[in-house]
Amino acid sequence: MRPMTYRPTWSTRWQITWQPWKDIDLWLLGATLALALLGTLAIYSTGLTRDSSDWLQHSLMIGLGVALTFGLARWHYEILLQWHWVIYAAANALLVLVMFVGTTALGAERWLSIGGFHLQPSELAKLSLILSLAALLQKPRPAGLDTILQAAGVIALPWILIFLQPNLGTALVFVAIALGMLYWANIRLSWITLLLSPLVAAILFNVSLVAWGLWVLGMALTAWLTLPWPRLAAFGALIINLVSGQLGYILWGLLKDYQKDRLILFLDPDKDPLGGGYHLIQSRIAIGSGEFWGRGLFQGTQTQLSFIPEQNTDFIFSAIGEELGFVGAMTVLILFWVICLRLILIARSAKDGFGSLVVIGVLSMIIFQTLVNIGMTIGLAPITGIPLPWLSYGRSALLTNFLALGLVQSVANHRRSLRF
Amino acid sequence: MVVPFPVGRRLRPTKRLDLVWLIFLVGIVALAGRLFVLQVLERDELRARAEAQQARRLTAVTPRRPIVDRRGEVLAVDQPVADLYVHPVQFQEPAARVAEKLSPLLGRPAPALVAQWGDQPTGIRAAEDVPESVARQIRALNLNGLELSPHYIRLYPQGRVGAEIVGFVNRDRQGQAGVEQTQAPQLKVPRPAVLIRQDAQAAPLSYDLPVGLLEQDETRLQLTLDLRLQREAQEALSQALGKFQAKRGAVLVMDAQDGSLLALVSEPAFDPNQFFKYPKEEHARFKNWAVLDLYEPGSTFKPINVAIALETGRVQANTVFYDEGRITVGGWPIQNFDFSTAGGNGSIDVTRILERSSNVGMVHIMDRLPRKLYYEWLQRLGFGQNLETDLSPVSPTSLKSPGEFINYPIEAATASFGQGLSLTPLKLVQLYAALANGGRLVYPHVVRGLVDFDGNLVKPPARPAPVAVFSPQTSRTVVDMLEKVVTQGTGKPARIPGYRVGGKTGTAQKAGATGGYIQGKITSFVAVFPIEKPRYVVLAVADEPQAGNAFGSTVTAPVVKTVLEALIALEQIPPAQP
Repeated sequence: MRPMTYRPTWSTRWQITWQPWKDIDLWLLGATLALALLGTLAIYSTGLTRDSSDWLQHSLMIGLGVALTFGLARWHYEILLQWHWVIYAAANALLVLVMFVGTTALGAERWLSIGGFHLQPSELAKLSLILSLAALLQKPRPAGLDTILQAAGVIALPWILIFLQPNLGTALVFVAIALGMLYWANIRLSWITLLLSPLVAAILFNVSLVAWGLWVLGMALTAWLTLPWPRLAAFGALIINLVSGQLGYILWGLLKDYQKDRLILFLDPDKDPLGGGYHLIQSRIAIGSGEFWGRGLFQGTQTQLSFIPEQNTDFIFSAIGEELGFVGAMTVLILFWVICLRLILIARSAKDGFGSLVVIGVLSMIIFQTLVNIGMTIGLAPITGIPLPWLSYGRSALLTNFLALGLVQSVANHRRSLRF
Repeated sequence: MVVPFPVGRRLRPTKRLDLVWLIFLVGIVALAGRLFVLQVLERDELRARAEAQQARRLTAVTPRRPIVDRRGEVLAVDQPVADLYVHPVQFQEPAARVAEKLSPLLGRPAPALVAQWGDQPTGIRAAEDVPESVARQIRALNLNGLELSPHYIRLYPQGRVGAEIVGFVNRDRQGQAGVEQTQAPQLKVPRPAVLIRQDAQAAPLSYDLPVGLLEQDETRLQLTLDLRLQREAQEALSQALGKFQAKRGAVLVMDAQDGSLLALVSEPAFDPNQFFKYPKEEHARFKNWAVLDLYEPGSTFKPINVAIALETGRVQANTVFYDEGRITVGGWPIQNFDFSTAGGNGSIDVTRILERSSNVGMVHIMDRLPRKLYYEWLQRLGFGQNLETDLSPVSPTSLKSPGEFINYPIEAATASFGQGLSLTPLKLVQLYAALANGGRLVYPHVVRGLVDFDGNLVKPPARPAPVAVFSPQTSRTVVDMLEKVVTQGTGKPARIPGYRVGGKTGTAQKAGATGGYIQGKITSFVAVFPIEKPRYVVLAVADEPQAGNAFGSTVTAPVVKTVLEALIALEQIPPAQP
């Protein structure tokens, strides 16, 4: 008679192995993996004629990224509350370092070459910003003016370093992250409006003087009603909004020519079809000629004939649009939509403010990059050099996105048992 | 510590979320809507734009085929050159710097270039027809704002020699004269109209290219011309024309066996490399008058008449006629050229009539034929029709109407010594070739055909078959008579020691444009060579020589002799066995 021994079933074994990750968000993981793999296919397609191995690098980085995600998901993210200043210091140190020993391309995008790997400190700095802002804003009370000023200080240092690179795109992502997190930290809407008011004033100044005047007065009133020292605040808001009309010109003058072109050409790319408008026109043609069902994977003629510069990085969406058509493009949009939805759900169910804010920081980053990048490829937004998360080729960015995913999964994995 | 979300408690979470959902909605609707516009509504237009920029019809300018002589010497060839356009708006350095770099290559001072460009932003043609070597150097400068537009120009390395045969192309590369015009279809390298795809750098996709497209076309158009002979003939002719101050002249050398022309000189000539420099009133130079212009052959036509008479059987070689020296036909006086000095020749046979070039004798010979028969014979020889040749679409002849010719005896009488009918020098050579080759009218031509790199004919051109008009016996008889003309008669200046030459002089009156004869004459000499085995016909014509002693024997016979001597040397013709 054989001895009776306990033999765990396969399913039991799996449950035991999976135990450390049982609360992670599988929808989120699935959607990101789907995007990353779609990115591999698209990068492979863009590299076919160039015999490029970028797709392999992308795949390897996905492997590493997934491993990091699972590693981080087990780990208690709260530990970062004690370490975020160290991370912040390190990120800024790298940003300073890259200014002196970095390599540059296309007048922007500085990186450090470390054994064949191009590390872009500006990508990692996004994460560091999210962590520091989350730590700062996590207090149970709505963030007050003092907190906002602290937050501004936290943003200022890396933002200036990145703006000086000059990497306008990433600088804008910083602003988007900060705004999103401030909003989630329940800062007054009127203050957010005031923060954005100079930008609006600069635009209105060039559109309609009446509207601009009303806006300036409205902002002064808002400041009067919502800020301490109402008179001083109202006066300050008035002055800032008054000068920002002219300030817009000055700042515009500070931009380099290629930056100006990038910012305005999307409105009418045919103005300079062989220069700054070229990317935009070619990308639009590629996506349009994909039609509803697409030309077929690896069959996109615009893609295969290399009509779109930097297609494997910033313009990867045009390859998908051409080869997989409206169906493929909508699939990408839906995957991003799923990601954002799951991020919100995690943010709402996080067990603490820190975690929730980290998730919202990541969400702001993803939404902003996605809208601006896809908008750029289809003629809705200017060229800003912002990559499409998980799809664009770029190992630093991909690594950053997977690290962000890992943090979010850690928040998900350690939330209350509330389920959605 | 459990914190409700969003962080802080001031607003209910759902309110904050509403704005987030709104951003989501606006974002996704904007992106999806725009995608729908591009990929569904505007798809046809965008697909068309994609295909338009990816497709390229291969319109690359291909070189015209070279033209070579029978030995492969090049008469016309395409040279790759480029036009240089500058677009100062694209310059990335000051225009003066660009001009300084271009200056040594273009051989023009930099300030002149800058001045030419002025403040035009784009599309300035800075230099034309820059040789390929220079174009390559300009390309190597790697400057923005320079555009080289490559094309070919036609070069004629032999200059004036053979220009009347070869012709020239205009700036649009259309043949304007000669073989360049008549053989245009053969000179064009056929390129199948192919649509290929190109990438963003306008590089064609190799797998799209049809097989054989990039193979170089080594085919050349070969002429029957021998440039060495052409050069000798041209020199001899222009010397004679200068000496006698003649208006124009021509020399033709034909291989009687097949009608191929070894030389065809027509003076005054032109330089095809500089065709644009001739003023409009001199454009007659471009016309090859030896092929296109009619003249009355005069005495050189007598041997043809003799052949007709012999062929009809109405006259034998030894038939004797009485030459009064001067007669009247239909009220018109006809006399021999030497009547005033020598009087009549008395009773002489046909051979002697030719030797003496007796007009009266010829009238008597041709009088043996019914005029209708004579007329039919002239028609059979091609009078009244255009001569077919590859030198020109049309080479005319002219003959009186049958009514005129048959009803008025004077017409047949003048025709018997070569007046009152007209032909081109080329036609006369063809008729003599029939005497030389045993009686066949051959197709006069200069084009041997398209040949490959090794000189083998790619495709022999289709030519009309020769038409037999005389019997070999008749031809032989007349050729023997022609030898006598040279050995004992008016053709003595063409004698070459050791060789047997036959020939006939001609000094014809010129018909005016309105009928009747005008001042000035046209002298000619035509030779058949070598007599023992006739192969070549050589004709020299001089129009309106001015000197008093200008006759076929003095002006043109020496030219023919020089050409024959050159031919003997070039073809290494052995002397006749004594």
